[in-house]
Amino acid sequence: MPQLGESMAEATIVAIKVQPGEKVSADQEIIEVETDKAVMGVTTPCAGEIAKIDAEVKGTYAVGAILGYVEASDADAARFQKRAPQPPKGDVAKEIPGREEESAKAVPTQNGSGSHFQVDETALPSVATGSHFQVDQSGVLPVPAGTKGAGYLSPRVRARMAELQLTQADLAGIAGTGNAGRVTIKDLETFLGGIEGQTAEKPSAIRTGVADAMRRSWTRPLATVGVSVCLDPVLQDRAKRDPKPGPALYALRALAVALAEQPNAAARLIGGRAIRSESIDVGVAVEAQDGIMVPVVRDADKTSLADLTTRYAELVDLARRRRLTTEQTAGGIASVSNFGTFGLDWGTPIPLPDQTLLLGLGAGKKAPVWSEEKQQFLPATQAELTLSFDHRSLDGGGAGRLLQRIVELLADPSKL
Amino acid sequence: MSVTYLEAIREAQTKLLRDDDRVFIYGQDIAGKFGGAFKATKGLAEQFPGRVLNTPISEDAMVGTAIGAAMEGMRPIVEMQFADFSSIALNQILNNAGTQYWRTNTSCSITVRLPSGGTKGSGPFHSQSMEGIYSHYPGLVVVTPATVEDAYTMLIDAVAIDDPVIYCEHKYLYYHLKAEALPTEKLPIGKARVVRPGRDLSIVTNSAMVHEALAVAQQFSAEGIEIEVVDLRSIKPLDTETVLASVARTGKLLCVGEAFPWGGVTAEVIARVTTEGFHLLDAAPARINAKDTPIPYHPNLWTEHRPNAKTIAAKARQVLAE
Repeated sequence: MPQLGESMAEATIVAIKVQPGEKVSADQEIIEVETDKAVMGVTTPCAGEIAKIDAEVKGTYAVGAILGYVEASDADAARFQKRAPQPPKGDVAKEIPGREEESAKAVPTQNGSGSHFQVDETALPSVATGSHFQVDQSGVLPVPAGTKGAGYLSPRVRARMAELQLTQADLAGIAGTGNAGRVTIKDLETFLGGIEGQTAEKPSAIRTGVADAMRRSWTRPLATVGVSVCLDPVLQDRAKRDPKPGPALYALRALAVALAEQPNAAARLIGGRAIRSESIDVGVAVEAQDGIMVPVVRDADKTSLADLTTRYAELVDLARRRRLTTEQTAGGIASVSNFGTFGLDWGTPIPLPDQTLLLGLGAGKKAPVWSEEKQQFLPATQAELTLSFDHRSLDGGGAGRLLQRIVELLADPSKL
Repeated sequence: MSVTYLEAIREAQTKLLRDDDRVFIYGQDIAGKFGGAFKATKGLAEQFPGRVLNTPISEDAMVGTAIGAAMEGMRPIVEMQFADFSSIALNQILNNAGTQYWRTNTSCSITVRLPSGGTKGSGPFHSQSMEGIYSHYPGLVVVTPATVEDAYTMLIDAVAIDDPVIYCEHKYLYYHLKAEALPTEKLPIGKARVVRPGRDLSIVTNSAMVHEALAVAQQFSAEGIEIEVVDLRSIKPLDTETVLASVARTGKLLCVGEAFPWGGVTAEVIARVTTEGFHLLDAAPARINAKDTPIPYHPNLWTEHRPNAKTIAAKARQVLAE
């Protein structure tokens, strides 16, 4: 398996185009493989005859693995400078750098029978001399040279964090003084001592809950895209309705309808599986005292805006009074945040940790919009619509298509 | 008045012979004018006739005889000329003395004195530290006094113990170490002692290395780094509690031993701290021992062979920099 790309570690066989016994020319594509990036061809190292194919279709092989053999004449082999692969190095342990304590270098002495060993314990570790990364080519696990580096948490620091229920995010404010800037136990205690004298109060349960959810969510690669939307159709439609749905509910309903058409957009990636929910239940972020509550509107794709309005109002009211039950907040697949109510135009809100998507709605503002038809600027109520997403599950294209569809739906709100 | 480490051993034996009829001392050339290779029994044969006895040059026979005497209710002290030669008596010490209580429910209250550790020019057969070997075997108590006071009180306690006790006295300390007077207080066998308090690093050590560690601690103190030094005193039983308490204060551990590096006391201490106190460690524990070769004769080589203040300091810096 050749290295077909810089970051390629392994590839899966898609097709094998030759049979044993078949004549091949140099650089002929004989195997098709798929990496995490693309489908690519494996070519012959030199001309000859296919002797054997070890690889199997759908099998995944690491770079350097043997996929098969080409029998070549000595002249061909020499011309292309291909040799049989070296057998793995036998004594890997000797290759490990920096084992000082037990690393006593055993050196056979040159005298007499040569069966005595001289041990030199004064040898200092040879690690951390260069800034480049060394990759062990022998196929075994690389062995870290020691417990060093800014990210290293000693057993003591870990135990103390566990005791105080601290997370790594809590340590962000500590500039470590240890090796390569690691946070030592003394740094931690000094930090804790420093905040001891400051005003501290126990955060409310809701604050703690939000903090925990945001910290967990932030472990993912989150991205946000945005687009302008004209709210005038929504405002006109709203005026005709009774009871009157809020702009956030229009957004919620549009999101649900769009997700019913593009359900993969809300899939959650867990391990090697994309998990998709059976029903499209969408949450809405509601500011309550000292935190955020997210009640969930069930089957928002199957219920018309008119039917949703009363239920939605009840949920929001319960949320504001913090009277929601666990059932009323569980199981959403995406949520809506109307940060426009705070006068904000744009934001990059963080999706809930068990959700992939969060649709944000900015404040509506009168703005001049160019009209192609009339060849002039016309006043319109514009708002920014944002979509924050887990980039593992969704890309800019998928997020953009979902967002464009929502814009389309909001342009014709009477159908929602 | 001042008392050397060696004099404290002689004084302890004098007191034991005076206070307890069951005590006698058994060793090569210890009676008469010679008074033992290091004069630890000088004058005692005259003072206590018939109770300080010369033996044949057979460590095996010496310990065997002492075990028999102990069975008959005596409390013999066996003096080995050098710890190194106690290996000739290993069968008697490990197989007979060590197991006796468990086999027969009778006590085996012998004390074997091992003049241990290195001095300049003593070479491979007169310099070794054997405490690790003896501690490995069940049924033995092993002590390594590092101070004049401990040399005195631990020898008296060793004789009082019903089990066989290996008493490792360090030859380098015989004349180098002095105290004002004999002690009036004691710490029992089985307890380690914090000989210097600190907050940045624990050096856990024993015997002559305690003094090397103290020199290092002194040197670091000038830089504002406070090293805590723990003298194990008793190797078996080992006072894990005091060691863990020290690591709890400092978060970092360096074990120093004069014995060879394979296994032994430093390895045992680190094994205990990492298994029972992993959560206390803010850096990987380190240890420094003699080199894994026979002990050289040449004074310069000998100085480099065993841990010394310089090499301990270098290792301490490594651990402190973690």
